[in-house]
Amino acid sequence: MTIAQDREDLLAELAGQNKATIGAVLGTGSIGKATERPDGTMEATIRIPEDAMTWEPAILMLPHGGKIELTIINDDKNTHACLLPSNGERQFIGLLNHSKGRATLELDGPGCYWYGSPAGNDEGRGLTAAIVVGGEVPPEAKLDRPAQPRP
Amino acid sequence: MTVEYVDAGEAFNHSELSNLPHSAPDVTRGINYERILQARSESQNWITYYGDYDGKRHSLLDQINVDNVKNLKVAWIHQASATGLIASTSTYAFEACPLVVDGVMFVTGWDGWLWALDATTGEQLWRYKHAVPFDVTLCCANVNRGCAVANGKVYMVTQNAQLLAIDATNGQKVWQKTIGDVRAGESASIAPLVVKDTIITGSAGGEYGVRGHIDCWDLETGEQRWRTYTVPKPGEPGSETWPADGEAWQRGGANHWVTGTYDPELNLYYAGTGNPAPDFDGEVREGDNLYTDSVVALDVDTGEIKWHYQFTPHDLWDYDSTMEMTLFERDGKKLLAHFDKNGYMFVLDRTNGELQHVTPFVDRIDWGVITRDGKVTPRKYPDKEGEPCHFFPGPAGAKEWTHASYNPEHDLFYVPVADVGATATRRRREFKEGMPYWGAAVEVDIDNMAGSVSAFDSHGEEKWRYRLNNMPMAASTLSTAGNLVFAGTPAGEFMALHAETGEKLWSFQCGSGHHSSPSTYSVNGKQYISVPVGWGGWLEGIVPGLSGQGHGASLITFSL
Repeated sequence: MTIAQDREDLLAELAGQNKATIGAVLGTGSIGKATERPDGTMEATIRIPEDAMTWEPAILMLPHGGKIELTIINDDKNTHACLLPSNGERQFIGLLNHSKGRATLELDGPGCYWYGSPAGNDEGRGLTAAIVVGGEVPPEAKLDRPAQPRP
Repeated sequence: MTVEYVDAGEAFNHSELSNLPHSAPDVTRGINYERILQARSESQNWITYYGDYDGKRHSLLDQINVDNVKNLKVAWIHQASATGLIASTSTYAFEACPLVVDGVMFVTGWDGWLWALDATTGEQLWRYKHAVPFDVTLCCANVNRGCAVANGKVYMVTQNAQLLAIDATNGQKVWQKTIGDVRAGESASIAPLVVKDTIITGSAGGEYGVRGHIDCWDLETGEQRWRTYTVPKPGEPGSETWPADGEAWQRGGANHWVTGTYDPELNLYYAGTGNPAPDFDGEVREGDNLYTDSVVALDVDTGEIKWHYQFTPHDLWDYDSTMEMTLFERDGKKLLAHFDKNGYMFVLDRTNGELQHVTPFVDRIDWGVITRDGKVTPRKYPDKEGEPCHFFPGPAGAKEWTHASYNPEHDLFYVPVADVGATATRRRREFKEGMPYWGAAVEVDIDNMAGSVSAFDSHGEEKWRYRLNNMPMAASTLSTAGNLVFAGTPAGEFMALHAETGEKLWSFQCGSGHHSSPSTYSVNGKQYISVPVGWGGWLEGIVPGLSGQGHGASLITFSL
């Protein structure tokens, strides 16, 4: 059995279409971070590269909960879509071949959210990605107790 | 050559791709404290979690009755199911109690869902979907027990410990408050309760070593009015029941995760509290561990605990006492009845918490004995590290959170009884925030299960029993003036029983197990019975022998 040092090599086998498996295994792609404007609104771009059937980044990190403005690009030569979590209602956008759109989301933090392309089995082939919101809950929502050990 | 991108535009609400009208009549505008005080008198509606502040889950509607219930048929079905990757992907459940106001139903689902439905046709009028993190800490799956309505709004909590006020006419969020710390392992599943100009919530997370609390919020602004912790700090009343020099109180549990009841004359909110943490390792928390496994009577204006009664002192079996405290009167006395996980029915004087009597309500109890005057003697509990201990009832209790109902005409409580044992083997672990903190390996029996809907009078005498076929009950009962008791089974059967005899008069196979609270209402003179169906939740604890049942996620409504 291989061990952790082989992680990059093994990921290369997994990440992509028709390699180790039929599609790309979820969570094996790239990682990116959103930027933040002075007013606290976060910004990021997510993209579907050509013939990859994955989102780049596959994990988008947000420093805290709140509003995020996404630019969404489909560089693929196939039509996809994007269904994203947001407080109130999920946000949907159709993505024709070589198209570009926008989405504004409101997400609580901390927590991990999945989104995907709800078309055929895009989600299973690899077009499912994560938005990871960091940070802490507001101070007034914390328990009245001393700081506790964490794992 | 650079080719311009096709403009895909701006993402929009997914619900736009549906036939939803996105609007509902402004029916909750007129719901206020005065109306909720008289909720049972408007039995055409179901405007608060239990149908009334007293927790009886009894409706005065009698159009559907013992004579005609055999003709009950499906009126409509609301199907929801789950899409995408959600928290508790395999174990989410439909646990809510539907509210109905003047022909509009408001019902919560799992994973931040709230639907407004036409109560006569099931047509979806609007929906709200909160984004719930995939990795939120949930001991007992992705569930929600219901909403509250008042002043033109619908109120609900989410699994990631948010309290939401939503415009009842269009499903738009009005305000949101964070009411717990998800990093500490807190979550929320309770149906909020509107009292006066406030709304009361509680926290979940007792399996993760949090410190339980009950909160009161301004109905209009969401501003916090008070917070009462259900585990005292050193120096506070009750702190003497925790180790003096330890940290146990900081992780003590006692979560209030099921809606309380309320007596407006006494101005008291009766809140049930959950297990101490760690659940099964009592050595790290010597003492009675107040206010775990208790009813605490809170002054609704201040949150002050006026009195308490502890059902299982120094719990070692995970016997939460969060389930309903039913308020009733007998011989001129204001009383409270409670069917505890520990297998005993308690009747208290609700003015001061004085015990009236205790009686067992399940056949197999061997964890210990409680005498009729309340003396508790533990007999079997996980004591030595690594040594298995089998006991009845198991940690899901002789009655889980699901509710009994009470018919005052017959002085009968209709109790969903579970008779299932379990083995706990103490395994001490170090506390780490957000990690499970049980202190044992636990295996609930997958066979030798029993269960029933049992009718007890207020003195604790069993009057009849409808036995299930080798399975426990895991859903709330509903009592109606039609002399009927409605109850759903884990096998999917929804039944109407005769309120005086327990005879089964009607049933319908819903296709998935029941783990929710049915309600009843009428529109234009026609009575309906509505039940959320969808098998899931903490099945490895409640009934592991049926955890492979079909999942499902539908709301089924019946009428004549």
